[in-house]
Amino acid sequence: MKLVVAVVKPHKLEDVKAALENLGLQGITITEVQGFGRQRGHAEVYRGAEYKIDFVPKVKLEILVDDGDAVKIAEGIQTAARTGKIGDGKVWVLPVEYLARIRTGELGSEAL
Amino acid sequence: MSSGKKFVAMSLLTFIVIIVLGAVWGHHAPADPVGQNFTGLANYPKTTTNVPVSQAGLNQLASDSARLGVSINFTWTLVTGFLVLFMQVGFAFLVTGLTRAKNAGHMMMMNIAAFAVALLAYYAVGFAFQFGGIAPIANLGGVSPLTGIFGHGSAGVIGLHGFFLQSHGTYDVGVMVLFLFEVVFMETAGYIIIGAIAERISFAGFLLAEIAMGAVIYPIYGMWMWGGGWLAHLGISAHMGHGAVDFAGSGVVHGTGGWAALALAMVLGPRIGKFNKDGSANAIPGHNIPYVVVGTLILVFGWMGFNPGSTLGATDLRIGLVAVNTLLAACVGFVMAMIITNAKYGKPDISMSCNGMLAGLVAITAGCAFVAPWAAVVIGGVAGVLVVYSVAFFDRVLVDDPCGAISVHGVNGAWGVLSVGLFADGTYGAGWNGVTGNVKGLFYGDVGQLWAQIAHVFVGFVWAWGIMWIIFTIAKRFMQIRVSEEVELQGLDVPEFGVLAYPDFVLHHAAAGHVTTDAEEVGNGSTRTVDLEKS
Repeated sequence: MKLVVAVVKPHKLEDVKAALENLGLQGITITEVQGFGRQRGHAEVYRGAEYKIDFVPKVKLEILVDDGDAVKIAEGIQTAARTGKIGDGKVWVLPVEYLARIRTGELGSEAL
Repeated sequence: MSSGKKFVAMSLLTFIVIIVLGAVWGHHAPADPVGQNFTGLANYPKTTTNVPVSQAGLNQLASDSARLGVSINFTWTLVTGFLVLFMQVGFAFLVTGLTRAKNAGHMMMMNIAAFAVALLAYYAVGFAFQFGGIAPIANLGGVSPLTGIFGHGSAGVIGLHGFFLQSHGTYDVGVMVLFLFEVVFMETAGYIIIGAIAERISFAGFLLAEIAMGAVIYPIYGMWMWGGGWLAHLGISAHMGHGAVDFAGSGVVHGTGGWAALALAMVLGPRIGKFNKDGSANAIPGHNIPYVVVGTLILVFGWMGFNPGSTLGATDLRIGLVAVNTLLAACVGFVMAMIITNAKYGKPDISMSCNGMLAGLVAITAGCAFVAPWAAVVIGGVAGVLVVYSVAFFDRVLVDDPCGAISVHGVNGAWGVLSVGLFADGTYGAGWNGVTGNVKGLFYGDVGQLWAQIAHVFVGFVWAWGIMWIIFTIAKRFMQIRVSEEVELQGLDVPEFGVLAYPDFVLHHAAAGHVTTDAEEVGNGSTRTVDLEKS
């Protein structure tokens, strides 16, 4: 099994979800996160004093999939989340050592 | 010209055109600026011809109608007082929104505690100091046991009747109405200071400041202006126009609050992380801009009691003009602050535009009954510009005012007082402060009035700033007026009150205003300078 993790722009979440549903998405966990990448944050002015918004709001997605589906899902996210402007985020895939469905005790791929 | 500059130029041009048109049309004789033609008799058919009328009946009618007039005025004064009370809510939202989430409980507690504590101080002694020797108020029935005054003739300095609303026979309904209306004004001056001392004053230090405001600083200065005191009598004693004139308290209420706030901000020193070592200011954005906007709108609504209510009676039909002038100044103040921040900083600043609206309100408060609508537009517009530059100025001189209280209330309070001496158009204020004729400013031929207004600002500033500065400079030696550095960094809610305003906030967002803890003392004692964490 694999864990597909992605950080995307909050307003692209619905697009990503719709795209993944078309690819047969079975489950997803999302979190509101903040962070920065290569472009860092941006400067704004508040009551005459300049300040930097270092941490930009993003949404983080976590999806557990079978080994064979990982790349398909990751590419689906890339396509759906891309705007072509800085701050589109990242997607990466991690191996999963153990997986259980808590209610039934099913293990591995059965638990997906 | 860039499109931004074009926009500003067009806006300014429009503004000037509005003023010019207003001023030009202002030369037409006003139709009925004080409502003297509204006798209401035209509404009744003349059926009394040839009907015998007894003198006893006429006397009864006269007595009934006079009593009705007083009832209407009581109702007006109480209801507008309730509106002013509601401003408390607006201010709580405003200042809490302009500060950080970690201090939200502390901000709200200060607002409600200010209300309770200062009210009791005013009940005990403040009201007696301010109004203990006021002349009978015709609008409220004309009878008053408030006749105790220290200082002869035109030199009254302090009132002496009405301690605990009981002394010297002041258990009287007229006194109660006056108390209710005046205590909410004192509350306004009292809560203004919260804006400048936010996020660092200890609760004990804050209570001391509120008691000082409610018992001494506000009432005594208020007596000089509104309680039959010497500043109001400068017209009689020194031939300065009608003496110092301040219709609803640009100076008496807002100025006092703003100037005292300046003293407190100076004694307390800036928040950790506000200024860098090179003297530049960091932005510490507020945590809830919607609170700021809602609070501002509530304050505007409350101001519809603050200014029109200051006639102390609905039988004074000038209330229509007062209300309209107040709204005009508020909206022009907002628009000007919006334009200036857009031009200066690239985007319209929401909180600063809201400050502009309040600045317009503060500035028109002194003159709302004395000026024509076009002048209200000018006064509010100047206020909206003034507040933006004033906030930048106080940042430059290292005075940390998180909510702009000094700029909105202190600076524009002074401007409002002076504006009466310029724009009062001589259509209102017959016999004001015992001087015959209407109140006229410099532009209508009375330079003396401007001198009285200058005296008002000067004396008010020295008094409110000076007394608060003295009290806190002394208090600093005996008590902790500022929370410890650790508490300030953690947020004041839990250390001071044992509870978080927002317990569900899991993360402390470490955006702007987050600083490393290696703060150090530099310069003159309380000035702290810390670099922003560079991550």
